[in-house]
Amino acid sequence: MYSSVGKREFRVDAESKVTGKAIYPQDIYMDGMLHGKTFRSSVPHARIKVDVSEAEAIEGVVKVFTAKDITGENYHGVLFKDHEVFCEKKVRRIGDPIAFVVAETPEIAEEALKKIVVEYDEIEGVFDPVKAMEEGAPQVHDGQNNAVYHYKIRKGDVEEGFAKSDVIVEKEYRTGMVDHAFLQPEAGISYMEGDKVVVCVSTQYPHFDRIEVAEALGIPEEQVRILNPAIGGAFGGREDITMQIHLALASRTLKKPVKSIYDREESFLAHSKRHAFIMKYKTGATSDGKLLATEVTIIGDTGAYASWVCNVLRKGGVHATGPYEVPNVKVDSYGVYTNNPFAGAMRGFGATQPPVAYEQQMDIIAEKLGMDPIEFRMKNIFRKGSITATGQELYESVTAVECLEAVASKINKNNR
Amino acid sequence: MKKRGIGYGCTFYGTGYGNGFPDVSVAEAELNSDGKINVYVGATECGQGSDTIMRQIAAESFGSSVEIINYYSTDTDIMKDSGTAAASRQTYNTGNALRLASEKLKDRVIEKAKDLLNLNTTVGLKIENGEVFLNSFKATKISLSEIASSLGDEKLREEATFVAHSTEMDEETGQGCPYWPYTFGAAAVEVEVDTETGKVDIIRAASAQDVGRAINPELVEGQMDGGFAMGYGYAVFEDLNLKNGKIVNNRFTNYLIPTAMDMPELEKIIIEDPESTGPYGAKGIGEPVMTYVAPAILNAIYDATGVRMTEIPVTPERLLKALKESETK
Amino acid sequence: MTTVNLNVNGKDYSVEVDGSTRLLDLLRDSLGLTGTKEGCGEGECGACTVIMDGEIVDSCLVLAFQCEGKEIITIEGVQNGDILHPAQKAFIEKGAVQCGFCIPGMVLATKAIIDKNEEPTDDEIREGLSGNLCRCTGYNKMVEAVHRAVEINKEAK
Repeated sequence: MYSSVGKREFRVDAESKVTGKAIYPQDIYMDGMLHGKTFRSSVPHARIKVDVSEAEAIEGVVKVFTAKDITGENYHGVLFKDHEVFCEKKVRRIGDPIAFVVAETPEIAEEALKKIVVEYDEIEGVFDPVKAMEEGAPQVHDGQNNAVYHYKIRKGDVEEGFAKSDVIVEKEYRTGMVDHAFLQPEAGISYMEGDKVVVCVSTQYPHFDRIEVAEALGIPEEQVRILNPAIGGAFGGREDITMQIHLALASRTLKKPVKSIYDREESFLAHSKRHAFIMKYKTGATSDGKLLATEVTIIGDTGAYASWVCNVLRKGGVHATGPYEVPNVKVDSYGVYTNNPFAGAMRGFGATQPPVAYEQQMDIIAEKLGMDPIEFRMKNIFRKGSITATGQELYESVTAVECLEAVASKINKNNR
Repeated sequence: MKKRGIGYGCTFYGTGYGNGFPDVSVAEAELNSDGKINVYVGATECGQGSDTIMRQIAAESFGSSVEIINYYSTDTDIMKDSGTAAASRQTYNTGNALRLASEKLKDRVIEKAKDLLNLNTTVGLKIENGEVFLNSFKATKISLSEIASSLGDEKLREEATFVAHSTEMDEETGQGCPYWPYTFGAAAVEVEVDTETGKVDIIRAASAQDVGRAINPELVEGQMDGGFAMGYGYAVFEDLNLKNGKIVNNRFTNYLIPTAMDMPELEKIIIEDPESTGPYGAKGIGEPVMTYVAPAILNAIYDATGVRMTEIPVTPERLLKALKESETK
Repeated sequence: MTTVNLNVNGKDYSVEVDGSTRLLDLLRDSLGLTGTKEGCGEGECGACTVIMDGEIVDSCLVLAFQCEGKEIITIEGVQNGDILHPAQKAFIEKGAVQCGFCIPGMVLATKAIIDKNEEPTDDEIREGLSGNLCRCTGYNKMVEAVHRAVEINKEAK
């Protein structure tokens, strides 16, 4: 008998949330705090020249930070350090941060944004990941192939599997980029505590933020403290850095608290998206309903930055056949740079897109075989001892059958 | 015309960073001077419920409810690195690390109790609701606060690390054990498609989610509802409407997410089959709860209309166009 | 700058505002009532919901100078001393809270529903909550919470 596990304990944070007492970063006000606003690229692909002198001359503007003010490394990124804290010579997407205005009031900071002059020498952009993979496509990151990642599964022999199949279904599926749309737009405040810079921000991974802030500021990690108060949803969208380094740099340089809040439109620009996938599926089965072969090509649009592209496209590839045993599998998944908004982590992390394809394939095949869709799935579904497309044995707690039976017993043609 | 159809979606989901990437959580537990248990973990509460789940896991070691736990998870100066609040990994990974730390601390507390109670062994000692007692003679007991105040400057503090099991896959064949554990889930929906407007309503819906063991069923259900809503939005509403890299739908006026009116009642079925490597058998479920929703809706749209929608979101414009094309065929 | 006199959560205030100050800014920046949240700034999400003279409004759409003589209730003014409002209790009991950012608005929307309707149906509840977006909960436990709030009200009578 458990004392706590398995019980419907009330959430420990519920009372502070229903009374309005829970503190999100935007709810923190400090004496003498300054206000920061981000200047972002309005074009998707261009060489840039930045002039902030007019903005900095406005009364009430304390400083305008650009790439030249970075005290450490002008980069960040969860896998590759391919984001610039402030773009210096080139922008790769609409919304790339170029400057951070710090002023006495948010209104003055907003005014100053309009006085920043950026000369855009536009470069041809690429917005379709298939085109981005072609020879001679514009390079999003100079000197680097846009196809940044390729994951392969080779199991059995798909050609033989298709040759033996009685029914083969080929289809292409597309899923769009979407936003996390958490209700709390990004906000944060940073201040100094002795020689330590404190950043109070909504984040999914405070210890990683600490590393990235320290590297960009060029200071030891021990001089960075990240506080993560109440967070208004995340879903993967608070994995990559947004304002953390901007705030830390500003408060450490100016020795004053600096606060920033994004509005909804800026929130859409600031954080990652779910990767759009193009998924080509070819699935073969026998007339008695056994899956024999699956061949899949996935192209994932990671937009202007890599973020988690390798992990997401790998996860997509590993999950491409769904919870079904298939003896012959060939999967190729690619992650590709474009000048679209950058994609990163979002709930499901590459395993949310493939079901849109593989579960429709299952229904199409079932229909062609004249079989009930549940019955067809049950002939192939993972059970204890099943082997996945990557050759992994599922030896315990395998409940796909129970899950499918449970929902099918609730909703079916007989109980309309 | 309004047409109804039923569809299913079934998925699996591998927990954690995967592919041999070090997936490490560190947790600490400490006896506070008043007999409560201080817990230090870097698991971020984003709304998913980790502040509650972690307390439940730690409290369990001490045979108590969550009130016994003082919990610290919002400051890199004092908490350990428990990895990111992502990959559905906090309950499993950090839950495991915390369980190990709590059990180690419990053993030390019981050892202290043995000394203070002048017993010759810890055998037979039990810990429950803030007390250590002899199970066969319950009058022989000492409270955690008494143990704490006997310590003087000594601190009872234990740290534990959990590393998830994952191997790197072969580069050429992709063969290997990238993730562990896997979770399973399924959804069934009945939709009503308005062929005049292209609108898709969900009439009935059920989700079943494998959880290993539910640490807190209320929170699991909350994730299932939320995952369903997000999957519904993904399938039918949400579209950034990108034009040459520009997000045209960048506000809640045009980037539509489901409202209380859109969301159907959802029958939520929690499937329990404890995972031996999970804390009390638990697996993480934050992500898998949305993965089966969109395909169930798409299959139901086909069942209702005979039209196979291969691109999402299935906005009214897209659906009307597809319906029209299918008529002319 | 003009002075606006208003009553918030039973207390009278005189506050200096300029023409562009929103009620939301007045509450948060001038009065420190940060329970009222900003999620979109254009009346779509309902996170900034407050009650003005008995009616639900989005405080991001109301200019502060328009609040002369108004009575405002924010999330901080819903409970009675230490006693939580039935809507607040019900949201805790029914597990209707996740990230919490929409919750102050949801609680006020719930109060508005149950103040006007002693037996709201599911449909009436969903309609009553439809001006408030939530990304975490899928709303169903909120609908249960509104029913529970009705029950708590009855139990108290």
